[in-house]
Amino acid sequence: MGDHRLLNGKAVRVRILNEVKAYVDSLRGGPIGRLVSISIGDNPEVAVYVRNQARGAAAAGLRFDQQLWGNEITQEECKRLITEMNDDPDVLGIILQRPVPDHIHVRSLQSAIHPLKDVEGMNPASIGNIVYSDVALAPCTAAASVELIKETGLNLKGLEVVMIGHSEIVGKPAAMMLMAEGATVTVCHHMTRSVAMHSRRADVVIVAVGKAHLIGPEMIKPGAAVIDIGINQIVAPDGSARIVGDVATDEVLDIAGWITPVPGGVGPVTVATLMRNATVAHERQLAVGWIS
Amino acid sequence: MTAQIIDGKAFAATVRAQVKEQVAHLIADHGITPGLAVVLVGEDPASQVYVRSKGKMTTEVGMASFEHKLDVDTSEAELLALIETLNNDPAVHGILVQLPLPGHMNSDLVINAINPAKDADGFHISNVGLLGTGQKSMVPCTPLGCLMMLRDHHGSLSGMNAVVLGRSNIVGKPMAQLLLGDSCTVTIAHSRTKDLAAVVRGADIVVAAVGRPQMVPGDWIKPGATVIDVGINRIDKPEGGTRLVGDVDFDSCAAVAGAITPVPGGVGPMTIACLLANTLTACCRANGLQEPEGLTA
Repeated sequence: MGDHRLLNGKAVRVRILNEVKAYVDSLRGGPIGRLVSISIGDNPEVAVYVRNQARGAAAAGLRFDQQLWGNEITQEECKRLITEMNDDPDVLGIILQRPVPDHIHVRSLQSAIHPLKDVEGMNPASIGNIVYSDVALAPCTAAASVELIKETGLNLKGLEVVMIGHSEIVGKPAAMMLMAEGATVTVCHHMTRSVAMHSRRADVVIVAVGKAHLIGPEMIKPGAAVIDIGINQIVAPDGSARIVGDVATDEVLDIAGWITPVPGGVGPVTVATLMRNATVAHERQLAVGWIS
Repeated sequence: MTAQIIDGKAFAATVRAQVKEQVAHLIADHGITPGLAVVLVGEDPASQVYVRSKGKMTTEVGMASFEHKLDVDTSEAELLALIETLNNDPAVHGILVQLPLPGHMNSDLVINAINPAKDADGFHISNVGLLGTGQKSMVPCTPLGCLMMLRDHHGSLSGMNAVVLGRSNIVGKPMAQLLLGDSCTVTIAHSRTKDLAAVVRGADIVVAAVGRPQMVPGDWIKPGATVIDVGINRIDKPEGGTRLVGDVDFDSCAAVAGAITPVPGGVGPMTIACLLANTLTACCRANGLQEPEGLTA
């Protein structure tokens, strides 16, 4: 990691987790509830996320309750259990792992999680707060991207940001968060006529599309910051598989001012922002008198 | 070239006629009369005018209009109790609380007490989030009106470059979400934007909602672009008296643009038409009926 142009996600992760740990320690053993992770049905990919989150929670000094609900559980039963957790003072935050089985309506369950316990920022009311510029409890990947842009030291006010990809959990909330910080944001997507026309003007380009090496150096303004959210598995001619982002990192590195590597960029920060959201949830629950 | 003038007054009348037709169907085929409740607290003269004209137009399209006028010193608890009653009233499909509320009330709290499904203004925080993530929601009236005008003029907006000037919660932000929903490439520009002229010059669609009289000059406009002017500003006339102008300098922009909305008579009349459309949409959803075509986002 000698190259100063590579934004080191692992270092940011450690910093944030230390901040969270300091917050938890400052409670001096005062009660703080547990994070509950809900996985519905067995899914090896989900299990990887959950393990990562459990590690993050352990580093931050937060209790992490991994629940695995059976594949045959009904929507009503899920809702009932979530409602119970909303009322349980020992539950600090609720994480609903995705994907869920086909018969489960994930949006309806996300809406059932109380906004004060919505550490993933997925309830419509949580997203509404982001749109209205209250960005403290934001979807984790979007928050991680903003964190890494701040890591460059660039002043966000008046900054030209181009967001490539307008997904509900990354692109749209990240665009709103950056606008709240004073950036001029352009959102591009698969119907955009010329992405390059927009991205070449940008001080910061964020890419969340899911196509390996979509963004080459010809699309980047010299000195710009490039935040790569893509995680794509590619198979080399020799049959070996590796993970790459949406950006042709090596080529873009020659022209960009900063770039997040994949892996090791946005990914590690995402779990840390989840833990930071837990502390925000705690503060808000205290503020409204849910807990003391 | 000279821009085509988009006649908001005429288009709003068309929208109201569509709503009226759908309402007649609902009554005839299902025995359902859509109802809009408007709550006014206090005696702000401008608000009284709005509420009166909303009530009048609601009845004109065949809907039931419920007006609730409360004293300026009504307590927040009393207002919240009224909203709860309206939330539970099956004859009420849309609820609108006229803003601004008196200083002793928390507007956010009041608005968020409205059942999101009956939130005719689309200001409830859950509707904001639903729109923000591209889900089905109740949509704020002014940006919905702008969207309808753009669709009417262009057909498909897919792939067009749109620039929204202004990032207000009631116009700029929802406008940007709606344009994204119609597959535009969207830039939201605002007071912090460095080179506003250059950003606006790239746009096929410009929506101006900043509240600054005649801020956008014609040389910011790409030839042939469509200009939607949401601003309504009163300025002094050189010969004395005042007049209404928009956020764009109409004469110079009209000389370059392909189409432009005038002020007054552009976006303004669409707002109430969209309030009626929203009430109809809420009524259809509440009764499990198909949503009215062309009247929703």
